[in-house]
Amino acid sequence: MIFKIAFKNVWRNKVRSLIVITAITLGLSGGIFTVSVITGMVDQKIHSGINNEVSHIQIHNPEFLQNYESRYNIPHPDSIAAIILKTPAVKAVCCRSRITGMAASSNSAAGIQIIGVDPQQEMKVFTLYTSIPDSAGGYFKGSRKNQIVIGRKLADKLKIRLKSKVILRFQNPDGNLTEAAFSVNGIFQSANNVFDEINVFVKKIDLDQVTGSDNGIQEIALIVGDDNKIPEVQASLKARLKGMLVQNWMEIRPDMSMITSAIAIEVYIILGIILFALAFGIVNTMLMIVFERTRELGMLMAVGMSKSRVFRMIMLETVFLTLIGGLIGMALSATLVAVFHRHGIDLSAFSKGLGAFGFDPKIYPFIKRVLYINLSLMIILTGILSAIMPARKALQLKPVEAIRIE
Amino acid sequence: MNIIEIKNLSKVYDEKTIPVYALNGVDLAFKQGEFTCIVGPSGSGKTTMLNMLGGLDTPSGGRIMIDGTDITGLKSRQLIDFRLRNIGFVFQSFNLIPVLTARENIEFIMQLQGVNREQRDKRTLELLQSVGLGEKINTRPGKLSGGQQQRVAVARALASKPKFILADEPTANLDSKSAENLLEIMEKLNREENITFIFSTHDSRVVAKARRVVTLEDGKIVSDISKNQGTGIQ
Repeated sequence: MIFKIAFKNVWRNKVRSLIVITAITLGLSGGIFTVSVITGMVDQKIHSGINNEVSHIQIHNPEFLQNYESRYNIPHPDSIAAIILKTPAVKAVCCRSRITGMAASSNSAAGIQIIGVDPQQEMKVFTLYTSIPDSAGGYFKGSRKNQIVIGRKLADKLKIRLKSKVILRFQNPDGNLTEAAFSVNGIFQSANNVFDEINVFVKKIDLDQVTGSDNGIQEIALIVGDDNKIPEVQASLKARLKGMLVQNWMEIRPDMSMITSAIAIEVYIILGIILFALAFGIVNTMLMIVFERTRELGMLMAVGMSKSRVFRMIMLETVFLTLIGGLIGMALSATLVAVFHRHGIDLSAFSKGLGAFGFDPKIYPFIKRVLYINLSLMIILTGILSAIMPARKALQLKPVEAIRIE
Repeated sequence: MNIIEIKNLSKVYDEKTIPVYALNGVDLAFKQGEFTCIVGPSGSGKTTMLNMLGGLDTPSGGRIMIDGTDITGLKSRQLIDFRLRNIGFVFQSFNLIPVLTARENIEFIMQLQGVNREQRDKRTLELLQSVGLGEKINTRPGKLSGGQQQRVAVARALASKPKFILADEPTANLDSKSAENLLEIMEKLNREENITFIFSTHDSRVVAKARRVVTLEDGKIVSDISKNQGTGIQ
């Protein structure tokens, strides 16, 4: 009965209740949508980082990561790749040469990382080839020698276009300076401007031909079919590849890992602030309700309703009010997120700024289901906390005085 | 046998500054089945007396025994439970729960008592019929007249099967026809079901129906007239 009375009481002053519910609905849906945009941006950044830049797990010679010299390569890379491919849950693997060098055009020069790849292997692990617009060439299309795929940012910096010549200068395995001309075959544009500026891709065969010897494999990257299996695969490879450094994407890119945890906290801070602000409105409304119903509450206590029941009734009313607004707010935000997730939010106008931080200019808002569950609990908690003060006020009423209030 | 015994009851306001005696050494007893009116001018102590009898207010001195229990010694929580199980209230301004129907308003008290659904349904219907509102079972207070609301309030007061009903000026907000109708119902319930009613009132019609009239002045009983048994002045 208390449940029923409390629910009916919510609708006693429809206009007032609707105003509070609307405030909760708008506050929450706005908050959730903001959170979904942030989560979407970060999620895209992480996915783009994994798919274009780091993959799930990388294997290096530990010395290489300290000195970035090509002589610290991975011994027997083909055997290691074969071992990796046989590991359960591993989807694809690729071997890469990594050399630090310079890229020069007739206009400018820049320090770069030269990545020597086998395009067929590479395309199974990384999706960078999808970041090359049709108008910007392709990913090692054709069979011509000395093709290079570079980022848009570097192309702009060197003032070069498709089919332009780029001179790459780097040390060969013997320590001698080597240089060769490469023809721009494709210009990619990922979400990360910094990545686009410092990485160039060439076929490993071409690189070896230029240096006249095998440059070795400095990096093996692999992708796992199920994200949850990454730790398992990493542990298994660590056990089998003694002497090699086996790192997952979070270890390779701690910035990406940190942003994920920072955002997880930030999300709850944003929603917490919104709910905290809404709680004041709810407390105010419920106090008004208690003052308006002083005589009725006095009567209830006079006829034998215990204080704990009165307390519970006011608590329930507050929780109902909050929960109704909360549920509508969540439904509205879920709809908004779904619509914008399908169509995306185009922030191309800010692409330079976003790109500098590795964010895609087209954002697809996204919310994890667990957030909705946690949010429901947060809303109920807000309702309960907001109810304490009005409910305590109700408890302070003396029936003999309350029933005489006009 | 007396169901209520009041001994040397007093209530003093502003005890430390200028003491005002709302009740001053009142001795009174009520038997089962009485239909008693407490009358007196404003400020005579009628309402204070009813509040004391109902356990809503605590006396400054004296004792109130209800069916053998000294309610002046009960704690707040015990008093709430005592009221729920022993006393029915009818208020001047009806005080029904506006969001509940007539049936739910009556049922509510029984739910607080923990009466099962079957018994609740049966008793609610009986009570509403006994106050002549059998057809208004699902009507909310807002759609009932003042008289009808007060009849629901009487039915609610009876729902808990109390030892007695306290009615504080029950006809004050009613037109004469509704007041007459309400009094007839209460008189019938008193006569046929031996329910004890204690009123405070200014209304001469209520006084006329009462079988005992207790008059208070300045917190003291100045007359106590039982229509069947003659007059006694304390």
